[in-house]
Amino acid sequence: MSLNNGQTLTNSAGQDSARNGSTSRASWEDARTVRKPSTPTRKPKSPNPENAITIALSARVLFNMEKEQQIYEQRGMEEYIRYQVEHETEPFSPGPAFSFVKALEAVNTQLRELYPNNEELFDVVLMTNNHANVGLRLINTINHHQLFIERFCMTGGNSPIGYLKAYHTNLYLSADPGKVLEALEEGIAAATMFTPEKMKEVSETQLRVAFDGDAVLFSDESEQIFKAHGLDKFFEHEKAHENKPLDHGPLKGFLEALGQLQKKFYSKGQRMDCPIRTYLVTARSAASSGTRALKTLRSWGLEIDEALFLAGAPKGPMLEKIRPHIFFDDQMFHVTGAAEAGMVACHVPYGIAQRVGQKKQLKDIEGPSAPK
Amino acid sequence: MVSTVRNPEAKQKDAQRALVVALTCQELFHLGGAEVSSSEPYAPGVAFPLLQAMQVVNERLLELNPEETLLFDVVLLAADCQQHQDRIIATTRHYGLDVSRFCFCSRDEFTHLLLRERTHLFLCTDARQVATASHTGVAAALLQPAPSRPTQQLRVLFCTDPADRPGTSQQVCQVAGLLGAMRSRLGVACGALSIILLTVQGGRESCGRALLTLRSWGLGVDEAYCLAGAPGGPALSLLAPHILFPDGSALQA
Repeated sequence: MSLNNGQTLTNSAGQDSARNGSTSRASWEDARTVRKPSTPTRKPKSPNPENAITIALSARVLFNMEKEQQIYEQRGMEEYIRYQVEHETEPFSPGPAFSFVKALEAVNTQLRELYPNNEELFDVVLMTNNHANVGLRLINTINHHQLFIERFCMTGGNSPIGYLKAYHTNLYLSADPGKVLEALEEGIAAATMFTPEKMKEVSETQLRVAFDGDAVLFSDESEQIFKAHGLDKFFEHEKAHENKPLDHGPLKGFLEALGQLQKKFYSKGQRMDCPIRTYLVTARSAASSGTRALKTLRSWGLEIDEALFLAGAPKGPMLEKIRPHIFFDDQMFHVTGAAEAGMVACHVPYGIAQRVGQKKQLKDIEGPSAPK
Repeated sequence: MVSTVRNPEAKQKDAQRALVVALTCQELFHLGGAEVSSSEPYAPGVAFPLLQAMQVVNERLLELNPEETLLFDVVLLAADCQQHQDRIIATTRHYGLDVSRFCFCSRDEFTHLLLRERTHLFLCTDARQVATASHTGVAAALLQPAPSRPTQQLRVLFCTDPADRPGTSQQVCQVAGLLGAMRSRLGVACGALSIILLTVQGGRESCGRALLTLRSWGLGVDEAYCLAGAPGGPALSLLAPHILFPDGSALQA
């Protein structure tokens, strides 16, 4: 069978072959549908994981699998798999990470034009707990949407953490908070992605990534002071320690990786219209506590394109102006706010904010046993 | 000179309906350096965890259906081990291993014996012996050394990158069908047996084709990994299979 972009994998009768233990050899001609050959698309080679910026996504953030998730929860694993196989040729519709992936690919396309043999590219990897029986439907869906995803792990229920580590994952996004926590504990930048009710439009040519400051880019040390001693003490402390860089947070490395790619564009004269743009969206205020944040970034040699100091104001409206493809925050309150504003927001379950009670309002929080 | 000895302690399988697996005595037990005169049981060898995992699969299958005939039927081949015969049998009984029969022969009768015993699958750590068996028309796969994390689950890996030699897909297809039937009977929730697909050089297209080919042979896959050229070592070490089918050319239709 030919498997070029947009084509669907099926075997001869378009259904599961009978598993009757028959020992007669089925010729593999039967395994292919007869399709007229289409123009082969020359795919670029995937970069070496050591050179690339590897972004691992679970199936449920990449695609919308709500209906199937319900079937799993209500009717169990066998029924879930049966359903998936039955609908194997029907592609899933896009999930919350989809526009992010498209933007990553747009950046790659431009990088390849500027640097033909370069391996410093984004490498999007599907990292799912799903059973491999769902694999063909996932592959068909990737083909249908013409995504460049050549690497995947379908672990059939086993933990993905080992594979994330072995293949130098720079960022892991999942709908399952349990797995995200596990990844963070192993030192991998990770966040739980939520689906907004109504997604606002985002750019198709410029990747925009927004970060909260404390407990995301920076450690939660200052947030601890705020929680323990209140706002005034927080301001005092930050002013007093203005020139002492904050410790790094779980997503500092990812910002750094984005910065490296940005520099490649700058060297080719693309600073003003760089296809990657980064934002700091923080509750710190410009007048006081913001200074320490900026000085910390500078001490790390990292640049951020826009720093938005909200002095405690809600982040939703600001994010709506920015239209990031993805926004990272350690506090569910802000993640919820962002999602309500139509943004794709991700929760980084790190630091003091996780231990102090928070409101969990979004619909997509589920237990760790669900398949991804 | 070939002699076949049945193991009276093991329940005999219906050889027509079972999946006959041949292991070598030298790999099931540590024979080397042992004194001929000693009567101590041999120490477990590299194939020991594999045999234990196969036994668990048999147990689960029989739990589901006490009349089940599609079971692993293990034949222990011993080439040039005549002098160890009694001790080999005694060791097998000592560990309570589910080995149906022992075949003692000389080295040059080995492959003939595989055919005679109607072996579906020959397992060995030695790639050359695996290749020889394949050329003779017996499906063969590599037995992997015991993983660092011992597991009760029998893990069978199909690697889809072409080996240096042409594959005997006919026989692999047959074994795949039998494994697939076993896997189906156990049910998705059962963790005793896991079928794994690993594509090292190819991308999703290769992996997709392989999934379909295995399915057409009657074998459903539990875990699938596609590396698209990333180094295979780390994945293989994490996957820790007991059995590795290295010849992928058959799966790349």
